[in-house]
Amino acid sequence: MTAGRAAGVLAVTVVLVAILTGCVGHAATTGAYRGKAHHSAQAASSSLQTALLAVQTSAKGNLLDPYLDTVLSQAEDDLGSVQQQFDSIQPPNTTEADALRNQLDTLLTKGSSTLSDLRIAARRDQQGEMVHTAQDIPPLVTKLDSFARATS
Amino acid sequence: MKFLQVALGILTAIGGFVDIGDLVTNGLVGARYGLSLAWATLLGLVGICLFAEMSGRVAAVTHRGTFDLVRERLGPRAGLANLVASFLVTALTVTAEIGGVALSLELATSVNYILWVPMVGLFVWLVIWRVKFSILENGAGLLGLALLVFGFALWKLHPDYGSLVHQVFVPQKPPNERLPSYFYYAIALFGAAMTPYEVFFFSSGGVEEGWSRKDLMIERLNVFIGFPLGAVLSLAIAADAALVLKPRGIEVDSLGQIGLPVAFAAGKIALAVAILGFVAATFGAALETGLSCGYSIAQYFGWQWGKFVRPRQAARFHVAVLLTLIIATGFVLTTIDPVMITEYSVVFSAVALPLTYFPILVISNDPDYMGDKRNGRLMNALASAFLVLIVVASVAAIPLMLWTRAGQ
Repeated sequence: MTAGRAAGVLAVTVVLVAILTGCVGHAATTGAYRGKAHHSAQAASSSLQTALLAVQTSAKGNLLDPYLDTVLSQAEDDLGSVQQQFDSIQPPNTTEADALRNQLDTLLTKGSSTLSDLRIAARRDQQGEMVHTAQDIPPLVTKLDSFARATS
Repeated sequence: MKFLQVALGILTAIGGFVDIGDLVTNGLVGARYGLSLAWATLLGLVGICLFAEMSGRVAAVTHRGTFDLVRERLGPRAGLANLVASFLVTALTVTAEIGGVALSLELATSVNYILWVPMVGLFVWLVIWRVKFSILENGAGLLGLALLVFGFALWKLHPDYGSLVHQVFVPQKPPNERLPSYFYYAIALFGAAMTPYEVFFFSSGGVEEGWSRKDLMIERLNVFIGFPLGAVLSLAIAADAALVLKPRGIEVDSLGQIGLPVAFAAGKIALAVAILGFVAATFGAALETGLSCGYSIAQYFGWQWGKFVRPRQAARFHVAVLLTLIIATGFVLTTIDPVMITEYSVVFSAVALPLTYFPILVISNDPDYMGDKRNGRLMNALASAFLVLIVVASVAAIPLMLWTRAGQ
């Protein structure tokens, strides 16, 4: 193989890998759908925990305002992206899949709303409101973690 | 004077060791695997020390750039394969670094990183074009020492050091993690520690600074003291993430998460220092990768290169740097997540490593080029063992990436 062809193969490989590993895909079976639900729950829990850590650190006076704003916005975007990706998966036509979808979607919606409230409070410099809103996060994380365990 | 020169070189090597790849990969892996993958960083450290020592020695003895020698010694086709692999990976790394600077500035200002990207690209180019090589190299490296704050934060977290050391030297895969993902991230850490551009920049910098045989001791001290201390910094980033983020189940996918343990443990001033470290490390690496892209092309084609001559005397070199920076900046502006680019860039570094490492091993063994400074038996044994390791990592990287869907 010439160096030019080797370079071509490398370039095509890079593009294919990026495409193949980045696809959302569909879930053909309930098991596959459960797996995707599991990963979505874990990712959502991570976003919420990030926001909680940022708020707790900020409440101790340890976080710079722009940093807090950026971390909360990022967590909100991430959770929004998780929800969008999960909702875009076509579930198989089973009762269990529908139940999983309803259960997780409820938690993701609640989580997204909480993170939006936190971001709004942070930008308004309402420290008390932020700490109050953040109290919603631990029970949500507990439910998401239970969901993740049940679907693992 | 000699002592100051050595000290400056070592400090610059420490501060310059960490870039966006090390920051993201160590934070991500620390939060997910604790320090159970530290062995991969340590392996990568040994590899980069061998690689950099050989290429620095080649530069000091021959006074010629790597790609010039590779083309001459192995022929134009093998040289081109080396060039293409090195350039693609380094260009991907420039993209990640420019994105990393912009993300760091977003953390400091809360202004969306996309708005910073064009200014970062322009500033990187201006510094490469106008600033003296020694100032550029030492300035970024010394400011990068701000990342030592991760070590301070680790101390403030009062960890069980015995447990951390145990995780490093008796590594165990977490029971809830799959083995393929564990090895995928091992390769990512290995690639992050052994990014080829660090070696090209180190050896081309040696030519820029006019190294000769009498500078070999300084070169070795930089490599064998500076790089290991830089790796300790990488491990501190991973340890902070392991102590603060892992217990909370936080999966790292942004630069902001990596700085949170510092703020949590050490407060606002420490966080400000960490942000300065992020900016310095990523900006310094953007300069080094941008220059490395220019070095690789100009050295292969035999053009005048380097900052030791005026830009008009190395016009094609500067055009290559400029075009690379324009393309990299444009790529970040497409809003592709810079952290994701970083994750791919470290793995592709591992994929391309044999094509960049093997030619240096051949040349550093060639008595026609190296005379009495060619590799000794111990160096050859170690470097050859590492070649096997590098080939295994390179071959396994893409199948593991597909199998694990990039470590999911």
